[in-house]
Formats: sequence, structure tokens, C-alpha cells
Amino acid sequence: MLKIISICAMILAFALPVYAIDGTQLLKEVDRNLNPESYESYRKLINIEPNGSKKEYTLFTVKKGLDKMVLLFIAPASEKGRSTLRLGDNMWFYIPNVGKPIRITSLQSVVGGVFNNADILQLDYAAEYNVEKVEEKGKDYLLHLKAKTKTVAYDRIKLWADKEKKLPVKIECLTEAGMLIKTLYFKQVKDFGEGIVRPAVIETDSPLYKGYKSLMIMARIKAKEYKDEIFTLSFMSHIDSIR
Amino acid sequence: MGFYKLLFMSLTVLFGLLMSSVIFAEEYTIDSSEIDKKPYHLGGYAELRPLTFGLNKDSALYKLKFYNQKKHDNIYEFNGALQLEGSLEYGMARVYARTNTTYQKGYLGETQATTLQEGYLSLKPAASLKIDAGKKTLNWGKGYAWNPVAFLDRPKDPDDPELSREGYYMLTADYVKSFQGPLKTFSLTTVLYPEYEYINSTYATSSRMNFAGKAYFLLYDTDIDFILFTGGSKTTRYGFDFSRNITTNLEVHGEFAWIDHFTRKFTDSSGNMLQTTYNAKSFLLGLRYLTEKEATYILEYYRNDTGFKTGEMKDYYAFINRGYNSYLSSGSTMLLNKAATLTTGSYGKPNPMRDYLYLRASQKEPFDILYFTPAITFITNISDKSTSISPELVYTGITNLELRLKAIFLAGGRNSDFGEKQNAYKVELRARYYF
Repeated sequence: MLKIISICAMILAFALPVYAIDGTQLLKEVDRNLNPESYESYRKLINIEPNGSKKEYTLFTVKKGLDKMVLLFIAPASEKGRSTLRLGDNMWFYIPNVGKPIRITSLQSVVGGVFNNADILQLDYAAEYNVEKVEEKGKDYLLHLKAKTKTVAYDRIKLWADKEKKLPVKIECLTEAGMLIKTLYFKQVKDFGEGIVRPAVIETDSPLYKGYKSLMIMARIKAKEYKDEIFTLSFMSHIDSIR
Repeated sequence: MGFYKLLFMSLTVLFGLLMSSVIFAEEYTIDSSEIDKKPYHLGGYAELRPLTFGLNKDSALYKLKFYNQKKHDNIYEFNGALQLEGSLEYGMARVYARTNTTYQKGYLGETQATTLQEGYLSLKPAASLKIDAGKKTLNWGKGYAWNPVAFLDRPKDPDDPELSREGYYMLTADYVKSFQGPLKTFSLTTVLYPEYEYINSTYATSSRMNFAGKAYFLLYDTDIDFILFTGGSKTTRYGFDFSRNITTNLEVHGEFAWIDHFTRKFTDSSGNMLQTTYNAKSFLLGLRYLTEKEATYILEYYRNDTGFKTGEMKDYYAFINRGYNSYLSSGSTMLLNKAATLTTGSYGKPNPMRDYLYLRASQKEPFDILYFTPAITFITNISDKSTSISPELVYTGITNLELRLKAIFLAGGRNSDFGEKQNAYKVELRARYYF
């Protein structure tokens, strides 16, 4: 009996540090360290093909609160003026001179390459995912996330976060069956000013795109709160006016 | 300092420089000049588009166009286009203009034309209010190939729905308001549309000021529009459209248009003009579906209540044939000239009849070929079973260059919509460079 009690006590002793971590709170901290809740930023996406050739896109993005985000292409010339709006699970894509904004899905990609719309228009992870489990892996936490609804692009996510900085280091995006769709690597932690210290480069590869790689480089991240009316279909053709 | 020491130091410095360049190459940054905003913008594209037509020598429209020419199996045409756009911003004001210049060299000789597609002044005193005055497109409706509720837009070409179009002169005011809860957005667009001898005169001949309005709601994650056009240049018309994502990869949309006292003019087989007036009720239902392997399907059914019935089209083709036979027997072009006038009107629209089905399937980046999208489009006239089939290949791998190879094959029996077009097929290569 004493032996059983001591085994249970040992299990509890090892388990306690893990249970002591509030996964949801930790994920919220990771979200806030990654970006202010409302902010604007510039990004450059670089798609690199196996032969080394590259294609680049420069974007301006604005996020507000938990569910609003817009993105504007400012280069290259062939894409300039295109914009994407996300309001919760709704996404629209606008091409100047062609027509009205059309509804798109989070799994599509407006730029080609490994990043899709959900990666570029990423809202807070805590807004879209529940934390199922937190593990300690050396100097990182490993958070096992499960999508709150079926409309989220990836059903499961494994997020490695630096214990000290509480910033993501690596994210694996998985299907419901656990199949790996892509891996995001967070690199080059940089001070953007106003207390924002976060990775400046996100690199991604995917077993579905063997040999291809995509990079997202962040610049001029600034906490800023725009009016809700910026995040509407009517405003999609005028996003450049707020830059 | 000995030679070997100097060599060692030089190699060390060289190695250091090489390493630093490697490290530098790994340091990705964005140059300020790439993201700094300028108050003006100039851009556009230049396009080359050679094409060849395979002619359908038995068709009515071939006879109408080529009755006095040597019979050809094929004709070749060269098209060039230059689209220029520019804008200038100052405070809450913005001026925008877009012109399109086309050059065509074909069997009829050379033609060149420049159109101001859009040109307007935009004032934005607040994030929720915008006022535009000038020539602009409204792009109302949710359909991809057709928009029965686009009462104030020029019709799309269903063979190329993404082509930019010319607008109309108008004054518009947009008010938008966001909310929390099931209703997330409400916006109201009001339009004053003048139609006089020197402004928007191609639309009709009446001298009237018209009014149009659109109320938009994003309600329970569904886009909903209510549309109205009235004023006398055309009969009053009402529209409704919606669009909604059912799942992450399935979107459904629809449009419904009611036109009060619509008058349809049509010909009998002798060329006598007849007309009928009724309340026209057109609608469109469609979906967009994305598969796991990133194939996109767009399917639309279009019921065009303003279009011609099968018997009316049969009479129109019979009238052309009658004109052609009259030309062959007497040399008179009187009937053919009258038929040509009809063809430039309603009969010459890309889809002039009543029931159409549109299906487009495109596959993004098959076989891991980045920026490559093959697609195939079917447009079927349900009434007469004639069809247009358009395979295409698009490549956008070179920055700012878009290459598209596209063919259109038309199939249909006698007196059918696609069977009586002048062409049996068309093949074109389009190279478009953006700057």
C-alpha cells in the first residue's frame, strides 16, 4: 500500500509543474508578445522555388481586436491594389478594376506558394484554438491546440514557445487526422519599438510542396486602433488611403 | 611581417567577409523605399494578343459578316492594348483615372480606340462616408459570369468575366456602419445617374436624372444586398443578391432581378419587328467549391427573363438566311443590312437567350508547378443544348508578366445559340506586362 501511495505521490510530483501551467493564459501571452491586439504592419512574402528562383510580394496589414484584419498588396505592380478582408470566419478578396470583392476561403492562397490566406491573415491563436495540453520540452513549452470550430484552416496545431520570451519558435499545422500540412519557423527576434520584441521572419515549408519554401518578413509593426468601418467590403478599394 | 603570415591574415579576412556575406544573405529585411507611401500612383499594363479564328462557314452569323468576301477557313487577328491608370491623393481627396487603348489589325483592316474607363474625384470626409463624382463602375451583384442585378454596369463578357469595363458618369455617396452582433456591417450606396444628350447618351435617348440605391447587410455571416433603380430612362427595377460561405471550402451566391414593364423587341423570319411587354424576373444561382487539392469549381445557372426564346432566335437566323439568299439571287443587301442592325443590338449580346449553365474548373499549381493554373470553362445554352468549351493555361511565374493561352470551341446544331456563331473555334495567346 505504501509503495502504491509513494508511486502516486511521485507521479503527482512530476505532473504538478505541467498542470501548474494555464495553457489558455500562456497562449494569450504568446499572442500578445507576437502582436499587439490592434496593430498595423508591413510584410514581405518571398516564395522560393527548388531551383532558387524567387517571387516577392509586399503587403500592408491592419488588425483590430480578435476578429478583424485587412491586407493590401503594395507590390509587385501586377498585384498592387488587391486586398483581402477577414471578419471572423468570413474572408473576401478584391481585385481592382475587375469587380466586387468575392468570398474566398481560409485554405486558399492569394499569392501562391506555401503560405495560405489563414497564415497571412492570422488572428490571435487563442481566438481560434483551445489548448488541449501543455508539455515542457527543454527550453520550450509545447502547446497542443485544437480548433474551436470547423471553419478554422488547420484542425490541430503544435506550437513550440520559448519559455523565457513566451514567443513561438515553431508551429506545426495538422489536419484532423494528424497529417502535417506545413511547419512555420519563427526566426530573428527583433525590437520593433514600443515594447514589441518578436521574430521578424517566419519561414515555412510543407511536405505538400517538396523543395519549396516561403518567408514572411515583418516590418514597422505599430500598435494602432482603426475604426471598425475600415474592415468592411466598401473600404477594400481604399485601404491605401490609411497608410 | 612574413609572406605566409600576410597570406594567412588575408585569407582570414577574405573568409570572414565571405562568411559575413553569407550571414547577411540570411538576414532578411524590407527596404524603406519599398513601403514608403507616395501621394501619387502611376501604373497599368501593356498587352499583346494574337489570335486565330476557325470560321463556321454554314452559320448564319458567318453569312451575315462575310457574305461579300472570299470564303475563308481561318482568319488571323492581332490585338494590342495599353491600360494606364493614375491617382493623386491630397488629404481626404483623391483623383483617379484609367484609360484603355486598343489596337486591332484583322481582316477588316486596322482600328485603334482609346476609352476613359473610369475617371472620378473621391472625397472621404470620414471612414464611414465616401462621395465620388465622375465616370466609374459600380460592379453590383454576386455572380461570376453574369449579374442580372447590375442595372448600372455594362454587361460582363462571360468568356472573360475578369476584364475591366467602362463605367458611366454618376454621383455616388457611400455610408458604412459596423456593429457588434449578428449584423456586422450595414452600408448604403446612393447614386444619381444622369442621362442626357452629352452624358451617358449611349444607354438610352431620354433626358432624365435617375436614382439608384443599394443597401448592404453582413448579417449572420451572409452578404445581402437590396437594389433599386428608378427615374424614367429605363423602367423601375428591383434587385436582391446574397453570398455566404457554407463551409470553409464552399460558397453559395445568388441574384434576383425584377424589371417592371420590360419591353422585348424581336423580329419574325421576314424582318418585321414585334414587341412584348411584361414584368421580367431574372435570377442566378451559383456556388464556388474548393477541393483539398486546390481545384476550384464555379457553377452558375442563369435564368435571363429578358432574353430571346428559342423560336424568336430561330426567326432571327431565318431572317439572316433569307437576306443572304436575297443577296445571292439579286445582289441586294437591304435585308442583310437590317439583320446587321439587329445583331449590333440585343441579338449580338454574348448570351442573348434565356437559360444558361456556366461551369469553370481550375487547378492551382498542378504537378507542383508554382504559379501555373490550367482551367476549363463550359457555357451551355440549356434550351438548345449548344455549348462553348474553353480550355486555358495561365502562367504568372515571372514577376509582373502574365501569360495566358486560351482556346474557345463552339458546338451546336442549326438554329442554336453557339452553332450559329461565325466561329467554330478561337485560339489566342495573351501576354500582359504590368508596370
